[in-house]
Amino acid sequence: MRTMIRALGAAAMATSLVALASSAGAAMLGEGVTVYMQMGGQPGEPPVLPRTNGAKAAAEALGVKLIEQYSSWQAETMLAQFREALAAKPSCIAIMGHPGNDAFADLVADAIAQGIVVTSGNAPLKELQEKYQDRGFGYAGVDLYEGGAITARAMLQAGLKSGDKAMVFGNFSRGDRGLSDTGMADTLEKAGITVDRVEMSEEVNGNPPLSIPQLVAYLQQHPDTKALGTQHGGITPLLPDVAQQAGKASGELILGGIDTDPKTVAAVKAGTMTATLDQQLYLQGFLPVLQCVLSVKYEMGGFTTNTAAGTLSPKNVDALVPLIDQGIR
Amino acid sequence: MTAVVNGKARRASAQQRSLIARVLATEGVPILLVLIAILVALMALAPNAFLGWRTYVSVLINYQPQIICALGLTLVIASGEIDLSFPSVITLTSLIFAAFYRFDNVFWLNWLAEGRTPEEIKAMQAQLSWLGVVAALGIGAFVGFINGALVAWIGIPSIIATLATAFVWRGMAVFLAGGKQFALRDFNQTDLWDITTGRLFTGLFQSGDVVLRKPDGIPIQAVIVLALAVLLWFILNRHRFGESLLFIGDNAHVARVVGIDVKATRVKLFTLMGALAGLAGMFLTMETENFTTTQGQASLLVVIAAVFIGGTSIFGGSGTIVGSYIGILIVVMLQIGMVAMGLGGDIADMVIGVVFVLAVILHMLVERPERLKGLGFGNR
Amino acid sequence: MAFGNVVALRHVDFAVGRNEIVGLIGDNGAGKSTLIKIITGVLRPTSGRLYIRDQPIAWSDYSVRRAHDLRIETVYQEKSLGEKQPLWRNFFAGRQITNRWGFIDVRKEKEIANKILLDTIGFRGVGIDAESTVSKLSGGERQGVAIGRAMYFDADLIVLDEPTVALALKEVRKVLDFIERIRTSGRACIYIEHNLAHVHELADRLVVIDRGEVVSNIKRGEMSLHQLTDHLLALQAKKEAAA
Repeated sequence: MRTMIRALGAAAMATSLVALASSAGAAMLGEGVTVYMQMGGQPGEPPVLPRTNGAKAAAEALGVKLIEQYSSWQAETMLAQFREALAAKPSCIAIMGHPGNDAFADLVADAIAQGIVVTSGNAPLKELQEKYQDRGFGYAGVDLYEGGAITARAMLQAGLKSGDKAMVFGNFSRGDRGLSDTGMADTLEKAGITVDRVEMSEEVNGNPPLSIPQLVAYLQQHPDTKALGTQHGGITPLLPDVAQQAGKASGELILGGIDTDPKTVAAVKAGTMTATLDQQLYLQGFLPVLQCVLSVKYEMGGFTTNTAAGTLSPKNVDALVPLIDQGIR
Repeated sequence: MTAVVNGKARRASAQQRSLIARVLATEGVPILLVLIAILVALMALAPNAFLGWRTYVSVLINYQPQIICALGLTLVIASGEIDLSFPSVITLTSLIFAAFYRFDNVFWLNWLAEGRTPEEIKAMQAQLSWLGVVAALGIGAFVGFINGALVAWIGIPSIIATLATAFVWRGMAVFLAGGKQFALRDFNQTDLWDITTGRLFTGLFQSGDVVLRKPDGIPIQAVIVLALAVLLWFILNRHRFGESLLFIGDNAHVARVVGIDVKATRVKLFTLMGALAGLAGMFLTMETENFTTTQGQASLLVVIAAVFIGGTSIFGGSGTIVGSYIGILIVVMLQIGMVAMGLGGDIADMVIGVVFVLAVILHMLVERPERLKGLGFGNR
Repeated sequence: MAFGNVVALRHVDFAVGRNEIVGLIGDNGAGKSTLIKIITGVLRPTSGRLYIRDQPIAWSDYSVRRAHDLRIETVYQEKSLGEKQPLWRNFFAGRQITNRWGFIDVRKEKEIANKILLDTIGFRGVGIDAESTVSKLSGGERQGVAIGRAMYFDADLIVLDEPTVALALKEVRKVLDFIERIRTSGRACIYIEHNLAHVHELADRLVVIDRGEVVSNIKRGEMSLHQLTDHLLALQAKKEAAA
């Protein structure tokens, strides 16, 4: 056993030395580039993890020095962290749009004036993007409203007819946080569905399992509800549990959600979940780093990428399961 | 003649009054009446949801971790302390249990999976989950012990100590999770699930020919937690340890003077709370078969509110287990009722706030009816 | 005995005879409470030795519980009863009647508590029983409960810390009678009191403590009440002159 470990160790050392040698030979594209990147929530959180992994992978592949910033989704903290980044004078700062165009305007102007590239991801900043696109301000993310709409279309395709009743559980009154919920609700309504928009409490926002009895009670009280949708990444995996506890047979309710939590994926596979929006968060981390390198080195303009390819459904789910486990999808 | 008759009548009504007074003074009765009133109102406003059994069973399935914490917190508050770290302990122990089951997914256990076939791994999962139970409870007790040591031996006020450790336990959970999230696939096929999270009386709840992974029925967790509530009631009200807690909460100087080892008792108290939070975290993961790094975080205020709605005093020296159990149900029923009617969670929050204030006033009045006279009612 | 930088007691040699009432007098902050807490096991001194019934006792062995076992009881008035707790809990706090698992025999405790209230203390028909909460009792009634507790547990040495403070005249008389009874029943008592008349009447010996040190040891009969008052005033003047 010991000899085996020693042998393995020696082999590992040899392999890494070879790798080092070969990489030392060619200069990496992003050499000398420092990027400060806002990740959003807390390290390891489901909506944050694939973005972080994407950013790290891009940084490693390109030879970029990446500094991650975590703000627990607080807009104020994001602004404060931008100031910190500014003080460190990196090559590039990648931000998220939660604080809004107005809050960021002066800070971004300062950064650009000092020759720092600024780009964005996950939540959009349309005004700033238009203003500074030629300086490398790009966007890699989902248009929140559009994301909700995409999910709604998948739900409609699964068999909703005009006149059916649906309930969307979201953050309608909380500004930008509710954009995707609104997109979903609007799209359903345009197709002739009667939509009940129900606001979730902050407690449920932070503690998804508590939503289950609430949704069960709603479904009990409104038994003719045909579809249930949400754009909350923590509640989506629980929708099949809600359906079961409300006494609905598998597939009886059309369920629409967001993100690729392993439990959600398993439910899609089993057919108990209709569709979930795949934000491809990995790209939202990878692309801004790439943007930084290309703009810093070659003064390329910002490019906009809508990372949401579509929804995860029983048809495409199998291939993605192992990738989801690794935090890539 | 008239005087004798009047005398008899007065004595009789005095007896009657004392019966009502005695019933109202029984632990939990006033707040139970509040709960019943709320349920009656909800049955009228949202009959489809509250006249059937599904809503109630759903509550029983999903709220056990909160109930466990409220029960433990009752003992903590009765002894004059507070514990703000229990949500983070839930996150940590939730992770510990999930990690033992999905050992192939965590960097500190995946060496066990090397060279094994998927079938072998599946078998090991079932076995390791038992170890996960011990680990979750043990770690919960251990972090509780640290809380207790900070409060009792170093003398940091519990509100500060537990606020600080809350950060530590949460960070530790994310670190040990390797920043990942876990799904406990097929956990409901294991024996452990059958014993702790399965469903009872499934025969009574047949819902057609639908084949469900988790059959409808009374969740075993609810039964376990109910037994736990009974045990904790006896500990608080009929055990030496519980009496020590009451005296410490009443007046720590007095407790010392009558020979209670205040320091040791406090350490034991927080250790117990930690173990209970560990149980809650474990139950949460077992039921949802999922772990995410925000597990359990947002329940802090609601659990604390439930304890006070139930009648436990913020000043320490008394506590009601029955009240806290009912308090959680009150908060939950209000939240569910609002959503069932299509009203938002923010409306629920307002209603809960109002009920909270009214409940506290109710408890103050039951304790000291003289206060009513002070307000100008009842001129006899 | 030092609390951090504050030396509360210094070179205090204190003794109580088997059947003696020792009065402990001194100004506020003189160190009386600290001394009492050491004797009754609440505090541990930073240095010194303890002998009980001529046996040396190690400080590490000593505690309130041990003091109770050695038949030393204290009556603190407010500071020894849990306000929100019922009387039956207060009687047995710290020494509950329990089974092997630590569960209290509540029925027995209530039974004995009611007996103490009726027989030992003499609360008849005043609406006070074992279930009553301490907060509903008057100062005198609380005193009665604390004394009744000490008597029930059959103490050989009873320590009374300011037992007549805030009591009505009739209740004060009861307390003084109780203290006299301690002597006639062959027991000992340490009696802290501000009211010189009371303590002068009852004590076999008076110990005066001032700023953490014993300054006088006065036997019964050595001074009249008037002389005692003058003596204490002289001590006060000396202190002010030195300051």
